Amino acid sequence: MARRKGLVINDEQMRQVDGVLAKLQRVSGSRFVALVTTSGQPITTSPPDVRSDTLSLAALAASSFAATRELAEVLNEREFTLLFHEGRESNLHVMQVTDQILLVITFGRETQVGRVRLFTSRVVEVLKPLFEAAESIHGDAAVIDFDYSREAGAAIDGLFPEHTEG
Amino acid sequence: MALINLAAREINYKIVYYGCGLCGKTTNIQYIHRRVNPATRGRLVSISTEEERTLYFDFLPLSLGTVKGLRTRFHLYTVPGQSFYNASRKLVLQGADGVVFVADSQISRLDENVDSYLNMWDNLLAEGEDPNRLGLVIQMNKRDLSSVFSVTDLTDLLNHTDSPVIEACALTGMGVFETLKTTCKQVIAKSVQP
Repeated sequence: MARRKGLVINDEQMRQVDGVLAKLQRVSGSRFVALVTTSGQPITTSPPDVRSDTLSLAALAASSFAATRELAEVLNEREFTLLFHEGRESNLHVMQVTDQILLVITFGRETQVGRVRLFTSRVVEVLKPLFEAAESIHGDAAVIDFDYSREAGAAIDGLFPEHTEG
Repeated sequence: MALINLAAREINYKIVYYGCGLCGKTTNIQYIHRRVNPATRGRLVSISTEEERTLYFDFLPLSLGTVKGLRTRFHLYTVPGQSFYNASRKLVLQGADGVVFVADSQISRLDENVDSYLNMWDNLLAEGEDPNRLGLVIQMNKRDLSSVFSVTDLTDLLNHTDSPVIEACALTGMGVFETLKTTCKQVIAKSVQP
């Protein structure tokens, strides 16, 4: 298993990624597109003000995809690079972009699976270099400094109650 | 290291509760979910068997609010403790910034604790994790029971990294938030860029 690196995404990369996702959502006729990390953290969505519980969606989609990859290994398949769930009203399609990034897309009867898969495959090729660049950049992580650590420590003390039950 | 989204001004940290079956990992998460301010937490997602044993994981997102202009979140996960679920444990551990090892303090659970502790390190090292960059806290759970090891003995067995040790009773909540606070602070301290 490859070592997990950190991921730092800057304004310019996110602007490009958001543009690509908005276009994908439009041309594929899908309801909602999200990028999540393979460790289950959401990065961005299109549309940005989606009502779904994106935190749970990211955790579950990443886990489901990871389990699928393990299934491939059990079956001696090199890899399953996509995951598809078909529902009555909506469908879910998950595809790997890089080692650390997954593309999640939901769509209903207003579009066709083939159309979504076609545009998604194309978009993965566009997104891949953007995130490969992000994975190699670490300098911007300097926002996590000692001041941040001190302030976060105070916030943590304030967030959690002290008392116990029973 | 955490996911840092500078464009959205967001940082997400992943913390995983690890330990043998029935040691109290899910009980920790359920207590946190019950007692933390509802405005700061998301939905508790549990993938369990019909007997309410963890099949894949529990997941609880917590928001710390905005710190230095960065929205900071902790994503808490548990692993399934039963020995035959190792493939699932490896998957849940991926990308973890911090780990809480929950030890069952009962004398009768010694073998399971040691096996789980060794298994945790096997899985972390297999993933290529650098232990120095990982926040690690040992929770000695079930301290309310009568037939338990001393903290010193358990520390000798289950803490070769000299990590913080916290006594707990997850059922009543004793030590649960102290464990979480210590882990969150460790995780942030380890992510600081010198």
